[in-house]
Amino acid sequence: MASLLRSDRFLPAATGIASLAAAVAIVELLLRAEILNPHIMPYPSDVFAAIPRIIREEAVFQRFLVTAGETLASLVLIVAIGVPLGVLLQRNPLVRKATESWFSALAAAPIVLAYPLFLVLFGRNASAIVALAVIGSIPPVVLKTVDGLAATRKVLINVGRAYSMTRRQIFWRIMVPSAIPSIFVGIRLGLIFALVKIVGVEFLINFGGLGQLINELAERYDLAGTYAAIIFVIAVSMLAFTLTEWIEKWLTQR
Amino acid sequence: MAYAKIGVEARSGLLATDRAKVMAIRIAIIVVMLALWEGASHSGLFFKDVIPSIATLAAALVRLLSGSPFYANLLVTAGEIAAAMAIGSVFGIAVGLLLGANPFLARTYEPYIYYFGPTPKIIFFSVLIMLYGVGPGSKIAMGAISCFFPIALSTLAGMREINPVLIRVGKSFSARPRHMVFKILMPAMRVPMITGIRLGLGVAIIGTLLAETKLSNKGLGYMVIQSYNRFDMPTMYALIIVVVSIAVLLNVLIERWSRSNSSDNLGSLA
Amino acid sequence: MKVAASMNRIDVNEVSKPEPDPVLVVERVSMKFNLGEQSVTAVDDVSFSVRPGEVFTVIGPSGCGKSTLFNIIGGLLGHYEGEVRIDGSKIAGSHESIGMVFQEESTFPWRNVIDNVAFPLELKGMGKSERLDRARHFIDMVGLSGFERHMPAQLSGGMRQRVAIARTLAYEPRILLMDEPFAALDEQTKLLLGEKVMEIQQRLKQTTLLITHNLSEAVQLSDRILIMTYRPGRVKRILDIKLDRPRTADVVGSEAFGRYVAEIWADLREEATRGMSDAESARR
Repeated sequence: MASLLRSDRFLPAATGIASLAAAVAIVELLLRAEILNPHIMPYPSDVFAAIPRIIREEAVFQRFLVTAGETLASLVLIVAIGVPLGVLLQRNPLVRKATESWFSALAAAPIVLAYPLFLVLFGRNASAIVALAVIGSIPPVVLKTVDGLAATRKVLINVGRAYSMTRRQIFWRIMVPSAIPSIFVGIRLGLIFALVKIVGVEFLINFGGLGQLINELAERYDLAGTYAAIIFVIAVSMLAFTLTEWIEKWLTQR
Repeated sequence: MAYAKIGVEARSGLLATDRAKVMAIRIAIIVVMLALWEGASHSGLFFKDVIPSIATLAAALVRLLSGSPFYANLLVTAGEIAAAMAIGSVFGIAVGLLLGANPFLARTYEPYIYYFGPTPKIIFFSVLIMLYGVGPGSKIAMGAISCFFPIALSTLAGMREINPVLIRVGKSFSARPRHMVFKILMPAMRVPMITGIRLGLGVAIIGTLLAETKLSNKGLGYMVIQSYNRFDMPTMYALIIVVVSIAVLLNVLIERWSRSNSSDNLGSLA
Repeated sequence: MKVAASMNRIDVNEVSKPEPDPVLVVERVSMKFNLGEQSVTAVDDVSFSVRPGEVFTVIGPSGCGKSTLFNIIGGLLGHYEGEVRIDGSKIAGSHESIGMVFQEESTFPWRNVIDNVAFPLELKGMGKSERLDRARHFIDMVGLSGFERHMPAQLSGGMRQRVAIARTLAYEPRILLMDEPFAALDEQTKLLLGEKVMEIQQRLKQTTLLITHNLSEAVQLSDRILIMTYRPGRVKRILDIKLDRPRTADVVGSEAFGRYVAEIWADLREEATRGMSDAESARR
């Protein structure tokens, strides 16, 4: 039974990696056979060779720190603004009814298109990027905080009443703890929203961390380097995404 | 089922007096924000036109909407987004159906789509320019890559959400494959599929517009970056207001559509 | 009703022929499942036949292979040993003669009541006005007139199950095959809906095969009850229920009813005990 379960996981993972490798090999072959144009598409082997090169020569570590710092600053602001806003909305049902749909609309709005505006308001620096990331990423935190608090099971609140807890005690001792998983889902969504915007705007305005790296290499027409940088940035984003998922699992399992 | 219930509650949940209060709160918030805005614009704390007065903004909006360049560029952008959605949804739905129908393929490839989905796609744009040129091609590709992921993931989720007993009901009535697909599978997946289209359209709009701001000579994104270069802040605000309004409106319309019940419409024809 | 008419003819013949030709024959049916290296026999050498117009019930504890049997007869499961025959001819795959009612929620949430009930007629290609008329007839039969335009989400669980039953009746099957159709309902609703189904069954002389684990439900509804053993599922005994028809839900109060329940429980107790100790040891 145990061996069966393991092969159940192993086979798909192996097939996935194998098909990825096969795709890379096919591209390499098509390039060597000159069916694909090597001036547009670099040899995969060159791309892999370029990964250590860009890490060595392009100050990747500092860039990573810049992007990570912007992300962290955004995260702090998102939580500091989003969670209290969510609490406020939940405690004032009429305000919630009035503005909840606005927050969902804001979540769907292409705020990032306003990046030139933020450049004018804040100057071409990290604060513009952080401000944009924060505004665009607060809605999920607000909405999920409201959801989480509102979804506290009625019976738990009645338990609190039965022990004659005050409203304040019920809120802090019962509603907040039971809402934490949902609030964290919101924070994770906000973090992903923010990270995507930060890297994107870095790329667009050619400023700062990892996003800029890709833009610079592309402007130098370093084809293999550009692809390598894209792979690197995607890997970092996926890693950050996985990490938040682990933290969420860890938090919700307790 | 759940969505139908939500609809019923939303319709009957609010008392008339509450509704008036909600309206009052909304109006109050809007008025306060507009006042703050107007105050900031006259405060002298910002460069001229960085926070334009409401009158200036309104004038810019009217100017924008009454001139022909806006509509020409809107048409270009809308065309790019439509093409991107067509390509992205064909691939997204195909991949979603394939993975939904085959658990082995799902276990093999779903993690890639799932973890790749939330990464910033705009960084592919430099490569897409090399592949598809500086014209609409690279913007369409950008939008298509963006919307592929949410559409594929929603289709897959939709396949999984289908209540298996409904498939058995179909079989028990000896339904032909065509009937299975059109009368059971498709309607059962309607809501998640529309959600996928809605999310996909949202990111396709962002991807296409951002690509236009980076490198292009047409489209609304190009207009935004032009107004930035001319330091024509009122026009830039007007453009952003219009684009955000269109995106939010489309989002709301699609959501309404997914909540409306197809059977009600069919029934009223009878 | 075509089916009802032919049924009446057989009833007349019954005087001269004590044993009418069975509608459904299940002969030496076995089914094995492979779980990894283990193979589990779910159904083992089960044979029985169902006479026209009767309510035949298969009862057994959870895990006795009742649902497997349901799926085999309904044609949703292949690769079994033995034969299932309807009116003398062997069947494979889903069959027009069998209408199934499932234990799970099975109405289409995107169709209103009348379109749900008209669904099988729509598949047959019946014209719109004709199929809506027929659907209305069966909606009326299950007592849901006035709810034609309601969506399933607006109905109670018992009403939804009535929609599902009406939908299957609209298919006009030779045999109505029901798997725990009242399992999701509360006790009172269960009794009243059982009464309703029996009233319809009597009216249509609908041959019915019911699968259940519920003792009183089985006695309330059935003409004959087949008791199955727990793992592997075999035939333990077939019992005639000689309670008067038409039966109402009040039958559950009668002395005879209590005797039948006690008699079946005596047989089932041993099987259920084995099933329970298996389930407990699986958790250890």
